[in-house]
Amino acid sequence: MSFFLHILILIGYCLPIVLAFNLIFGKGKILHFGPMGVSAATSYAIFVVLMNTHSFLLAILFGLLISILISLFFSWLSLRLEQDSLGVMSLAVHLTIIVIITNWTSVTCGALGIPKIPRLSFMESIEMFALVTTIYCAIFLYFLYKVDKSSFGRKLEALAEHSWHAKSLGINRAYVHAIAFLILGFAHVFGGFFAYTYLRFLNTHEFGFQSLIFIVMAVVAGKPGSFKGVTLAVILLILLKEGIRFIPLAPGILGPVRLITFGIILFVAVWIRRDTLFPQERLV
Amino acid sequence: MSLLSLFSVSLTLNNHTILNDVSFDVAQGEVIGLIGPNGSGKTTLFNLLSGFLKPTSGSILFKDENITNVIPSKRARLGFGRVFQHFGIFRDMTLEENVRVALEALPRDKRKELGNMDELVDATLDMALLKPYAKKKAGSLSGGQMRLLEIARTLTSGKELFLLDEPTAGVSPKMTHQVADMISKLKQQGKTVLIIEHDLPFIAQICDRVIVLDVGKVVLSGNPTEVRDSEELKEIYFG
Repeated sequence: MSFFLHILILIGYCLPIVLAFNLIFGKGKILHFGPMGVSAATSYAIFVVLMNTHSFLLAILFGLLISILISLFFSWLSLRLEQDSLGVMSLAVHLTIIVIITNWTSVTCGALGIPKIPRLSFMESIEMFALVTTIYCAIFLYFLYKVDKSSFGRKLEALAEHSWHAKSLGINRAYVHAIAFLILGFAHVFGGFFAYTYLRFLNTHEFGFQSLIFIVMAVVAGKPGSFKGVTLAVILLILLKEGIRFIPLAPGILGPVRLITFGIILFVAVWIRRDTLFPQERLV
Repeated sequence: MSLLSLFSVSLTLNNHTILNDVSFDVAQGEVIGLIGPNGSGKTTLFNLLSGFLKPTSGSILFKDENITNVIPSKRARLGFGRVFQHFGIFRDMTLEENVRVALEALPRDKRKELGNMDELVDATLDMALLKPYAKKKAGSLSGGQMRLLEIARTLTSGKELFLLDEPTAGVSPKMTHQVADMISKLKQQGKTVLIIEHDLPFIAQICDRVIVLDVGKVVLSGNPTEVRDSEELKEIYFG
């Protein structure tokens, strides 16, 4: 039962993040590789404030503020840079954020991380935690589904296929990108809040390339832009990731096995979708 | 009163002059043909009018408002409608979505003015003779059908100035008549149209005035018959 609840919690906070990333990377075809940078900055903003003020509300509000600033920064980059440059730049920003967090030890505790993170009093039990994250996930999914099928979703798709054609219809690229990045930022705020109050510990290792690969893999395997496909991919990949624990392997081998498995899945998914993953934007 | 005015517009890219001191006025309801040999700067002029390029010097006025530095999406919201040479439709979207996305991009008050969205989508597809394919991906259409869809979409989205870049390119002769009919409808509705075309009989049939561009300069302007019979035009095309 506790394994089932654990899976439910993981899906609860991962799924909204991956689907929000799918909006940018899958539907918008924006080569953004910095989601873990956003996640790191917002999570640290939340928990540094929480540990110092003991106010959940203040912590969440500060997390939202930081997520707005970083999301708008990435959105601005997406308007100024070509796709490949954005990919490299977003990775650079991600690494910069991690380096700052790791070295700003007086505030972030550096490599030691932030331990003993408290939970909201009504979320102390795993059952309640699973229930709250599931409700949060259901609400966020409904919101993302509506966004995906809305005029905003169509505008994002139009910009992805041909930005000149979309602009000539009156679609404002800056506005559409800003909204897409903000949605991902908000998913990171709440996802980060649930993730690290669940784990009760925050460390920069959580925001490494393994996490980025998981998100990218889920979107690519589920078919970029597909709401249902990516949802299914996240659920299956989390089941696989956690299910590997039951294979009788030494703890030192388990991690590499998991990484190799995910690497193979990503390779196969990219190979299968190699022609459609990032089709060349049509030129006028 | 002029709807659109260009004053000494020039464009230089990489030390190469693409447009040189281009000036002309476009009156409300006028249909103007823009002709000239390949590389004369016709499509570049459209890109400049749409806001994708900014002139090196000169200014562009729309309804007496200086729009020289206005971004493309805002120009579209002001009333610029563009039909692209290589089909400006979204191939991964259905026909219905293609029309819907154009209507949704309009300013809120304009959208309300146009009426019910579903009815407008139906009317647009009907106009393009594509209603039975509403749920099909636009990428599955023929070149002519794509062109009809694009023009019909621009037509129903309440634009005031239409920039049509070779609307008959890649279109069968039968469909060319349908395209001509649609442009005639624009004319009847009092819309202002600028058309780039190589088909001179087509231009003569639908335009009030023809402007000839050569090496980025306006070299000739007048009614279609005058321009067609001029020695300068023969000189430009045949040397």
